[in-house]
Order: sequence, then C-alpha cells, then structure tokens
Amino acid sequence: MDMTVRLPRGLTLANPVMAASGTFGFGPEYGAYVDIGRLGGVSAKGVSPDPWPGNPPPRVWETPGGLLNSIGLQNPGIETFIAQDLPFLRESGTRVIVNVIGHTVEEYQRVAARLEREPGVDALEINISCPNIKAGGMSFGHDPDQAYAVTQAVRAVTDRPVMVKLSPNIESPARIAEAAVAAGADMISAINTLVGLAIDRHNRRPALGGVTGGLSGPAVKPVALRVVYEVAQAVAVPVIGMGGIAQVEDVLDFLMAGASAVMVGTITFQHPNRMLAIIDGLPAALAVHGFSSLPEIVGVALPTRRQESGR
Amino acid sequence: MAGEYDVVVQAVRVPGSGYVELVLESPELAQAVPGQFVHVLTPGTLRRPISFSRISAATATAAILFQVVGAGTAWLAGVAAGQTVNVLGPLGHGFPVPEPGRAWCVVGGGVGIPPLFAAVQRWGGQVAASAILGARTAAGLVMVEDFAERGTALTLTTDDGSRGEAGTVLGPFKRWLRAHPDGQVYACGPTPMLAGIAAATRGHRAFLALEQRMGCGIGACLACVVPVHGPSGPRYARVCSEGPVFAAERLAW
Repeated sequence: MDMTVRLPRGLTLANPVMAASGTFGFGPEYGAYVDIGRLGGVSAKGVSPDPWPGNPPPRVWETPGGLLNSIGLQNPGIETFIAQDLPFLRESGTRVIVNVIGHTVEEYQRVAARLEREPGVDALEINISCPNIKAGGMSFGHDPDQAYAVTQAVRAVTDRPVMVKLSPNIESPARIAEAAVAAGADMISAINTLVGLAIDRHNRRPALGGVTGGLSGPAVKPVALRVVYEVAQAVAVPVIGMGGIAQVEDVLDFLMAGASAVMVGTITFQHPNRMLAIIDGLPAALAVHGFSSLPEIVGVALPTRRQESGR
Repeated sequence: MAGEYDVVVQAVRVPGSGYVELVLESPELAQAVPGQFVHVLTPGTLRRPISFSRISAATATAAILFQVVGAGTAWLAGVAAGQTVNVLGPLGHGFPVPEPGRAWCVVGGGVGIPPLFAAVQRWGGQVAASAILGARTAAGLVMVEDFAERGTALTLTTDDGSRGEAGTVLGPFKRWLRAHPDGQVYACGPTPMLAGIAAATRGHRAFLALEQRMGCGIGACLACVVPVHGPSGPRYARVCSEGPVFAAERLAW
C-alpha cells in the first residue's frame, strides 16, 4: 500500500508518521537509536532567534498514563541550530520541519526569515501553543487576532509550507485554526500539551520547577481527537494530528477523525523505535479495517463523510 | 556501545530493606564506565535511570542497585532471575580514571553509594581508595561489605547514629580533605551533600555524579538539567548526556 502523504506546497511525506516537536531533540540525539530516514518527518524542538535558558528543574513528572513537563523551550537559538543540528537532519533523508517560537510577532518572523536562506528545511511549524512560556508563546494561540498576526508575519517571509500548532487549553481551538488559515497557514497541527499541575507530596510543593506543566501521553488522546475532529470540520487545509499516540491503532483513530498525518511524541521516551514499528504496521492495520489506500481513511469519522457512507 | 537492549536478569539481591540489586547479563553493558547508567523500561510513562553498582567485562555482566521509592522501582523490584528487562544504555559520561599518586576518596550518600563501588571495583587496584559512606539509617548503608572486601579504608555515618558516626558524610569528609590537601574526590548522593562537597573542594580534583528527574535519557528532551558555568554565564546542562558525572567546579549551584 502506498503510504505517501501529499501536503500543500509540494510537501510530500514517505509515510504519515512524524516525530513530534519537543520529544525528538534538535535531530542528532536519537540518531544512534532510530533510523531517522524512515520517519515521515521530524519536527525539531522549538527554535527562537536567540538562546532561551528554559525553566528551572525538575522539568518532568510522571502521571497516570501521562507525562507532565515544564522544559520552557530551552534552545540554543537559530544560528546554533543551523550550524550544529540542521546539517544532520538535512542528511538524514527525512522531511525536516522546524518548530518556530518567539516572544513577539517579530521574533517568529526573524526565525522564519533566517531559515528561508537555508536548504534542507521542508516546512515550518509555528508554535503558538506552548503552555510553559508565560510571555508570548501560548498567548498567541489563545487569541484569534494574535494567531492571525503571527501567521501572517511568517507567511510574508516564507514560501515554505507553514503549519500552525494549536493549544488545547482554550474554548475553541477551531476559531484559532480559522484565523491561522485566513492568514495563510497551509496546515494545522494539533494538539500541544494540556496545562496541568502535580504535587510533590514529600516536599509539600508543586512537583515541577516551573510550577505548572504541559500534559502529554496516552492520557490526553481523547482531548486531542476531539480537537482534531473539530478543526478538520472548521478548516479546509490538512490537519496534522497528535496527542498520546502510542500504537498503530491510535494512528487510525486520528486519521479517521480527520488528520492527514500524525506526530508521535511521549512514547518515544519509552520506546525510541515505536514510530518505526507503527510505520511498519500501518498498511496491515489499514487493510484489517477495510481500507485499500491511505487517503481513503482520512476523515471517515467526520459527520459529512458518515452521511455519505451511511454509517 | 549505547543501544536499546533486552537483557536477562541473572540474579536478584536484596542488600538491605527497600533496596534491590539486579545483575544483568549483557556484553554491551559490561563495557560501561563507572558513573554511567541505564534507563530501564517500567510500566509507567517514563523509564527509570539507574547507575551501575558493578561492572564486569570478565563475566559479561553489569549490576544496578536501586531503592524502591515508587511504582516504577516497585515493579522493577518484582522482576525475578531469568526474566528480561529492556534498557537503554550504557548512557552518559562516567567518572574519569583517577590520577595515580594522588590520594583518592569516594563519598557516597544512600543510593548514591553504588556507582562509587563500581569506580573502586574498576580502579581501586591502581589507586588506593578511601570511602566515606553515609545514609539516614543503617539500612541505607548498602555495599559496605563490598568495599571492605576490597580493603577500602571505610568511614561510615548515619543521620540517626544507628551505625558509624552520627551526622552526615561532610564532617569526616572535611577531615579527610584537611589530611589530604592534594586529594581527589568522587561523590554521589543527595543534592545538599553534593553541594557541600562542591563547596569544600574548590581547587581540588572533584567529580560529582548527579541525579535529576529524567525524560528521554539520551539528551533529546532537555528535562534533566542542572545549572553549569558557561562562557556567557550559567546555562542548563543535561545530566543524562553531558553528565551524570560533572567536574564539581563546573556546577553553578
């Protein structure tokens, strides 16, 4: 079965399974463990114009079925990323997506403009949804006007495919998606993590150094599916779904809910090669459910498609 | 070399109440450097980082010793000999080879003791080691017999005075340091203890093995950080891949 995914502006994935930003480093880290060239794509950890220090530790805490993190988007800045990490990703043979972060509209634009001069970047993912950054960051993902402004500013300086990553921590992610698409986004990726808190009982304080953190892992999958399902009906562009994917059946759920491709994150910490196992198992899993091609499954659970098929 | 391995548990030991040591059959892990660790798969959503307590290339085994503190380590404590565990490793940067001709002291606190025994096991034949080992209570003084068997000069402390000197390792350690102004120090234990050692060893050759809540274990997620001195001020370094062993002078505590 052909696993190719054709996305806007000529972005073509060998298969629909990508590494999610924040869980796969800046590229080289997992090189000794994973045949990166076999992945549909890699979304590198968020990159800002200048280095960001990140939040004080502890930065992770295990929760039932989930993982709470407060990394705070630590990154070495765009110039170091381009010099140290991008060459590895470029040579790896996978599609390279750079996750773009900033405190201001201008900072997002600076990263996008700087990458425009670099070969080997296949798409940009505009991260307006990290819950661990108080100034900027998530606030852009909470206000349709700000989401529009950031997307428009990035769109103005790049011809590359642009996806905008949504926050689930709001009343209507679909409204943000509509604003991003109106400003020129080619795709929507969803979801980022859910804001949460854990208590360190022994020390009688919040467990994370950043106090609150972002929840990921299997626990968030129903929330992620709901957002993908809503967004896929609200906008006409492809949706990249993620949130708690741990096995191939989870991928089927996201595709049925309207995702054209998926990203896999937290499970990689336990099983670095799970993404490859999912890729290997996907054709058989599709066949088991009666699909003879990948596009056939995308969105079958959406109301319009159910009406067409009478299910 | 570092990789993902399914390894057979050759033996399970209980060195003290609430502590478990697993001997793992693995030629790859047997190549580890003392101070390195494995990231062990458990049923939770994160692996558990555990450093090596013994490493034996001759028998192609490596052992890990841990305290049962939560669901993950409780599960691991229930693994029986003959069963398999999945690990990533050996990970991180271990201790350097101790300099010959320089007095050597290893200082271990509680569950920080095991990696120091691995160091004495590896290098104690070339450089005579003194060991200062401490724990809250006598039950936490693990591997004392192993050090004794190797002829290591031992000083023991417990917070409650149930074995050895009452108090922490810092008292006897400072005495040792005064007697050995040119001495070298390897330490592992709780953060306040390591901070005390770092403060006492300025200008000395001192290496500390750190512990931190860890995500991926291989340098990708930037969870397990510690502040270190950088060229343009303090920065957060990854304990898993840039450590877990750091020169004490690098740490910006």
